Amino acid sequence: MGAGQGAMVQIPGVRPERKTILIERTLRSGQSLFYDGNVVILGDVNPGAEVTATGDVIVIGTLRGTVHAGAGGDEGALVVAFRLEPTQLRIANHVSRPPEGMTPSGQPEVARIKDGMVIIEALGFRL
Amino acid sequence: MGETIVITSGKGGVGKTTATANIGAGLALLGHKVALVDADIGLRNLDVVLGLENRIVYDLVDVAHGHCRLKQALIRDKRFEGLYLLPAAQTKDKTAVNPEQMREICQELKKEFDYVIVDCPAGIEQGFRNAIAGADRAIVVTTPEVAAVRDADRVIGLLEAAGLNEPKLVINRLRPKMVRQGDMMDIEDILDILAVDLLGVVPEDERIIVSTNRGEPIVQERNSLAAEAFRNISRRILGEPVPLLDLESNGNLLVRLRKMLGLG
Ligand SMILES: Nc1ncnc2c1ncn2[C@@H]1O[C@H](COP(=O)(O)OP(=O)(O)OP(=O)(O)O)[C@@H](O)[C@H]1O
Ligand SMILES: [Mg+2]
Repeated sequence: MGAGQGAMVQIPGVRPERKTILIERTLRSGQSLFYDGNVVILGDVNPGAEVTATGDVIVIGTLRGTVHAGAGGDEGALVVAFRLEPTQLRIANHVSRPPEGMTPSGQPEVARIKDGMVIIEALGFRL
Repeated sequence: MGETIVITSGKGGVGKTTATANIGAGLALLGHKVALVDADIGLRNLDVVLGLENRIVYDLVDVAHGHCRLKQALIRDKRFEGLYLLPAAQTKDKTAVNPEQMREICQELKKEFDYVIVDCPAGIEQGFRNAIAGADRAIVVTTPEVAAVRDADRVIGLLEAAGLNEPKLVINRLRPKMVRQGDMMDIEDILDILAVDLLGVVPEDERIIVSTNRGEPIVQERNSLAAEAFRNISRRILGEPVPLLDLESNGNLLVRLRKMLGLG
């Protein structure tokens, strides 16, 4: 059985059937990405850029554009960013945008659905 | 063999034509042979800004279609030794030339000139594709406004997709007072989003409007910060490490900017 064969993974909570793509660049205005799985971006997502994934979206950079995680309806999907300052953020069928006049926290954050609402928290150890 | 530099922005009216004229004249003042190409077919401006409108006989479209030789269409600017203009046609539109023809014209010009500078029209359609077709590198102009920066970002993405990597940025019409009051994006805000190298910052300067109306590039003027900014940009294009202008006589600012340029 070759490397990368999902069946090798036997850690509880890990979903080997879900694929992940690594994007090693910044998405600029007008650029958009759809992926059936998780997306990891080593770069920024600029205003006017869009990322859509059926799984999680993780941005190792500043997320200022539009992001949609769990686009197939997965309410457990997460959006994680080194700096989370999206124009609009969607998880599954929930749409949210930062409140008017909100100043960026300046630290890594995670967005998820809790009690039917999108909430944003400082990125802790319990993803 | 010279090189072709396209000056582009996405958003209209941010200062591409002003930058083309002044950088071109600036490079000529530094002793280089420069051809300016007005790729804004149908809305030509560069000839007016340079005060050369009344000398146009043939234009870019005539050259592309073989109605004249390239040399016949080039207008020599008598005020700046080594500066020439290839004007755009005013009565045609962007579809009158194609990227292949532009590439050939730039290639031909590079044999004669040290620098070929192409003034790109606003937008990202055919006029943009024509203007970048023959370019070896790109300069993106923006003003410190959210919409202009957004369009600059879009254009940088398109330039990268076309193989024009690492374009350089010119921030035009900066008003230090407004920045200080928090009413205008500052240089760091802009660089934070665009993540490209800064080639220069040109302040808002009424005299640019006056000089534009007179058909005289401002770059030769002695007591104008905008002129000095354009002279510095020309020198940086030649590879000289010129520190950014202190637009506000504020020492801290200068040090910070130097650091950004990688000089400090
Ligand atoms: N630093 C400046 N200070 C004051 N006015 C300026 C400055 N730069 C440009 N302008 C003015 O702004 C106007 C637009 O400039 P310009 O024509 O160079 O823009 P452009 O990007 O070429 O526009 P277009 O997209 O229509 O081709 C002109 O009237 C010009 O004189
Ligand atoms: Mg113009």
